[in-house]
Amino acid sequence: MRAVLVIAMCLMATALATTTQTSERGIIINLNNGELCAISAQCKSSCCHRGSAVSLARCAPRAAESETCSKKSLYGTYYHCTCEDGLKCDGDWSIGGSIVNTNFGTCIDPRRAQTTNN
Amino acid sequence: MLTHCLFVFSPFCVNSRVVCENPLRSSVSNIFKPAYLMWLLWISGLLHCLVGAVNGAEVCYDKLGCFSDEKPWSGTTERPIPCLPWSPEKINARFILFTRENPNSFQEISTNADVIAASKYQATRKTRFITHGFVDKGDENWLFDMCKLMLSIEDINCICVDWKSGSRSLYTQAANNIRVIGAQIAYMISIFKENFQQDPESVHIIGHSLGAHLAAEAGRRTPRLGRITGLDPAQPYFQGCPALVRLDPSDALFVDVIHTDSLPVIPYLGFGMSQAVGHLDFYPNGGESMPGCEKNAISQIVDIDGIWEGTRDFVACNHLRSYKYYTDSILNPAGFLGYPCSNQEMFESGHCFPCDSSSCPFMGYHSDKFNVTKGVDKMKFYLNTGDARPFSRYRYRVTVTIDGSRTSLGYFKVALYGVNGNTRQYEIHKGTLSPGRTYELLIDVEKEIDELTFVKFIWNNKVLNPLLPKFGATNIVVQRGRDRKMFKFCGKDWVRENVLQTLSTCQ
Repeated sequence: MRAVLVIAMCLMATALATTTQTSERGIIINLNNGELCAISAQCKSSCCHRGSAVSLARCAPRAAESETCSKKSLYGTYYHCTCEDGLKCDGDWSIGGSIVNTNFGTCIDPRRAQTTNN
Repeated sequence: MLTHCLFVFSPFCVNSRVVCENPLRSSVSNIFKPAYLMWLLWISGLLHCLVGAVNGAEVCYDKLGCFSDEKPWSGTTERPIPCLPWSPEKINARFILFTRENPNSFQEISTNADVIAASKYQATRKTRFITHGFVDKGDENWLFDMCKLMLSIEDINCICVDWKSGSRSLYTQAANNIRVIGAQIAYMISIFKENFQQDPESVHIIGHSLGAHLAAEAGRRTPRLGRITGLDPAQPYFQGCPALVRLDPSDALFVDVIHTDSLPVIPYLGFGMSQAVGHLDFYPNGGESMPGCEKNAISQIVDIDGIWEGTRDFVACNHLRSYKYYTDSILNPAGFLGYPCSNQEMFESGHCFPCDSSSCPFMGYHSDKFNVTKGVDKMKFYLNTGDARPFSRYRYRVTVTIDGSRTSLGYFKVALYGVNGNTRQYEIHKGTLSPGRTYELLIDVEKEIDELTFVKFIWNNKVLNPLLPKFGATNIVVQRGRDRKMFKFCGKDWVRENVLQTLSTCQ
């Protein structure tokens, strides 16, 4: 009985060893949303998001138009993600904000803003 | 001897999942398959010859009747090992009642009319049972959360069935113990009927994994049970078995099933059934592997919902997604619209899009709003969900005709804007962008934006092009899946890369 099990386990081990991993996801870079990250460059979405200063950071989708966003910072993680392509994070910039990483704003379309101002 | 063998067998499965979750799911080489088949044949053959001698026993319990281990309960290829269910005392099933009067502190009831009469149970309300599956327990967060959410939208008796003493045993044993708990639930429903005049038609049993077949057993013993929801019914010992043993449309007036882990147990370690076993069978994301379940080990375990939830997901992420979708669907029915389709390829290619009038049910809690034609069952529905909470998604077909100064490599994205806000940007095409060509894609957006007012187009590429190409969308047609409504948008200008072009409704 035990011999059979040992053989079965060996077979399984061989089978596992011979499989090749061909998935596109990464461990260090190219991370999917929801995976733990240290800096935004690791994420496919290029936003490494954390809820608060003490919480863990995970990759998250970038902010869509009219959502709250952060301006680009050197910290590598954000409390609100940066905006999607073509959008600008419209909000006040301050030195204090850039130190504590809280230069928040709202994603706007710069072209649309121009036309409405005119 | 037998139990010893199985005992080694079950942790074996669990360990192998830990080692190899992703490689197993993503690719299987050709050398791989025969090895596994051989292993399966070996084990099953071995067990098969050990079986014969012990077949034909029976055990009887007070008020519940007798349980035999004869065919089809054992002695078949799907259920080779004979095994009798444990006694109700040993399984120690607990019935945990929540109502609107006590949404936070539960009461324990039992199959005793006096105990029920003394509780907050009221026969005028609908009753919903929730039961867990293998190795799980009834006072787990997900059962309580589901009860609380249901109580927030309707006044019901919500009963969580806890049978952890019976579920934390060998799989064969647990798969047989459910027969006793099913009989206990059926007995409780008969008390509801006789002592409190509650019609079984207003009783609903929600079961996850082994719990789905447990609900089926209760339904088989209760004529005209209202509804059974099977959340990824367990595959081993049930798939391919006769209807008596497993969940089946005949077990209740309405049976809806969500399949989230339907790959074969060997070699993929899929725990759920692929077989359609309800009136409505939903296969979210194809029913085999769920988005958000392919995370690396640390990210999976260190979960937003805590280490415990993360560990559960690490072991059986796809399998557990079924109750997460169901819980999400309670407050948001429209985000889980199922499209009638024969398989995932057809669904992805757009053959099953959009919905015909009233041909699409909501997956989950609100699926009973769908009118099932009498005599029709095992209808298959497909839909896509998100990779994390909220899981709800809304499907659109986007057809984009582009124009530009020259052919170029790159990608373009489209964002939809409606009276109820706007979506993220969704990539429609990547590769060669040729002026005058039309591209089409089905997208599942994360937000219900209602009537569309305008759309935005943006294109980009990763390389610098000194010729400064410009592109623009001349025509974008968006079709909404739920009601086939078409929204047409026109654009005239071209834009440089990474600049948004707004297209408004065609004049």
